[in-house]
Amino acid sequence: MTEQTPLLRLDNITRNFGAIEALRGVSFDIARGEVVALLGDNGAGKSTLVKIISGGLEASSGRMIFDGEERMFNSPAEAKAAGIETVYQDLSLCTNVDVVANFFMGREIVKRCFGIPVLQEKAMYDAVEKAITNAGTRIPSLRTNVEHLSGGQRQAIELNRFVHWGGKLVLLDEPFAALGVEQTRRGLEMIKRVAAQGIGVVVITHIMAQAFQVADRMVVIRQGKVAGDVRREDTSPDEVIRMITGEASIGRAQEKKPQLHA
Amino acid sequence: MISSRQRALVEFLLDNLVWIMLAIVLAVFSLTIPNYFQIGIFVNIIEQSTFVGVMAIGLAIVVIAGNMDLSIESTMALSAMITGILFASHGIGIGFTTTPAWLVLPLSLGIAVAVGAVIGALNAWLVVKVRMNAFIVTLAAFIWVRGLVVAISGGRSAQDLAPEIRFMAIEPFLYIPLIAWVAIICFVIFTFIMRKTPFGRHITMIGGNAVATFRAGIRVDRLVAISFVLAGAISGLAGWLLAIRTSGATANLGVGMLFNAFAAVVIGGVSLKGGIGQLPGVYAGVLLIYSIHTAINLMGLPAHYTQMILGGMVLAAVLLDTAKLQIRQKLA
Ligand SMILES: Nc1ncnc2c1ncn2[C@@H]1O[C@H](COP(=O)(O)OP(=O)(O)OP(=O)(O)O)[C@@H](O)[C@H]1O
Ligand SMILES: [Mg+2]
Repeated sequence: MTEQTPLLRLDNITRNFGAIEALRGVSFDIARGEVVALLGDNGAGKSTLVKIISGGLEASSGRMIFDGEERMFNSPAEAKAAGIETVYQDLSLCTNVDVVANFFMGREIVKRCFGIPVLQEKAMYDAVEKAITNAGTRIPSLRTNVEHLSGGQRQAIELNRFVHWGGKLVLLDEPFAALGVEQTRRGLEMIKRVAAQGIGVVVITHIMAQAFQVADRMVVIRQGKVAGDVRREDTSPDEVIRMITGEASIGRAQEKKPQLHA
Repeated sequence: MISSRQRALVEFLLDNLVWIMLAIVLAVFSLTIPNYFQIGIFVNIIEQSTFVGVMAIGLAIVVIAGNMDLSIESTMALSAMITGILFASHGIGIGFTTTPAWLVLPLSLGIAVAVGAVIGALNAWLVVKVRMNAFIVTLAAFIWVRGLVVAISGGRSAQDLAPEIRFMAIEPFLYIPLIAWVAIICFVIFTFIMRKTPFGRHITMIGGNAVATFRAGIRVDRLVAISFVLAGAISGLAGWLLAIRTSGATANLGVGMLFNAFAAVVIGGVSLKGGIGQLPGVYAGVLLIYSIHTAINLMGLPAHYTQMILGGMVLAAVLLDTAKLQIRQKLA
């Protein structure tokens, strides 16, 4: 991917929780169709960053340029409307309703009868069935409430949901944590397929092999700062691990001068 | 593993357990209590269920959305009292009339519902904007709105509504008085809204996981606010019906109905945790309560037996809820 105008540019994003500085000036770009693996230890600030991009949290300072426009999303609804889909680390499913209702949460298919929007259950069911079958996910019945499904099945629903809705940018916060081997493989393929359509993908993972399998670039966050931003072909798992633990640090991939400290 | 058809059947039975209980209770009473099995008795049960039934719709919606509304009884009383004061001709009633005379019907209805909606909107504002606890906000409203009823009536009553309104309580259609039909129609309409519209779907999902719905772009605060306004407006309607039934209003009108409404909601299968419940079940719960009430009356037992049975039934309903959950988990 060439870097004309990036799909998303983060410029010096900070976020404090009281005295805790969760993010201390994060800047990097994501191009269209690019898969960026966001790496870092527990508590590094990855989830916080994802929530800021997706409108769930406000940044304390910093700028965000999305699709050529300076924006900060005040709610997930705004981010969604702009084309940002998010799969959160703590899943976002309503376990008291069925798979179909979750899939279409907030975007139900309706038909107006005398001005009253009426849910089109059949159409929604068919769409979900198609999406789930395409992804090779096995769920006993789409009409069972999500509370009766396994952790992996729940995660699969969320993954299929984002693939179905597409958009421009997809944020995945540890999407494979509960998935089996086969489902993870499918999930990784899904990410590649999505990126091939020109959608930008940010995927958070702790598993180096996964990052190297899908990502075009690795961005390492350490203690709220970017501790490394490298192209996959220019690095190795060992080097990335050293960035995560703070033994090595390499600057932004697209810049000529890597900033070295540590 | 059981087949999906068997699963569907068990699910259906679990969902409609309260209707099955109602049928059993009615059958047992009809067989054991002399004079119970009469059309007049059944009509009476349906008629008595009107006010708590209508009120319970609003309560159920708020509870399904994961909140609580204790103010509904007092809101109902306020709407009834204002209807009484404006349109009754004796006591403290000022006997307001319109030309044509039938216009008092929609006018009084509109005022009663609006009064309820205002109380609901106040609750909504305190809960959603000021971020106060719904239990406290609506408990306060339960107290102060009843105080307001006593204040505006001076503790006295209004009597004699115009015949243009009164006929609603007198005229039957298929044996059942028109006010009871209003309750039934309300249940049908709101069942449709809860099951078949995005509004109902979103309310249910908010009760299940408010964070997830917020992340999905659903306007959670707005919908929660609407649920409170709706509960207020529906209580206003209940008050209007109650005023028609009593042909006026007294300062202590409807005292104790809150607990019946709560019992009906719980017995009807609505979980106080939010996200779970069906309105038809709530109506069955109300009918069940008044079936037992009527049986106790017919047997000549003092009314406090009803209260003891009600208390026991609420506990049983909660236990049943847990049992249902376990059965469902086995099914999945
Ligand atoms: N709502 C909050 N209130 C207070 N502190 C918070 C909050 N959310 C996150 N933090 C803090 O901000 C820091 C970054 O948290 P974050 O969840 O972004 O980490 P992470 O990189 O996603 O970690 P993990 O790999 O464990 O998911 C942590 O120190 C955390 O304790
Ligand atoms: Mg995280």
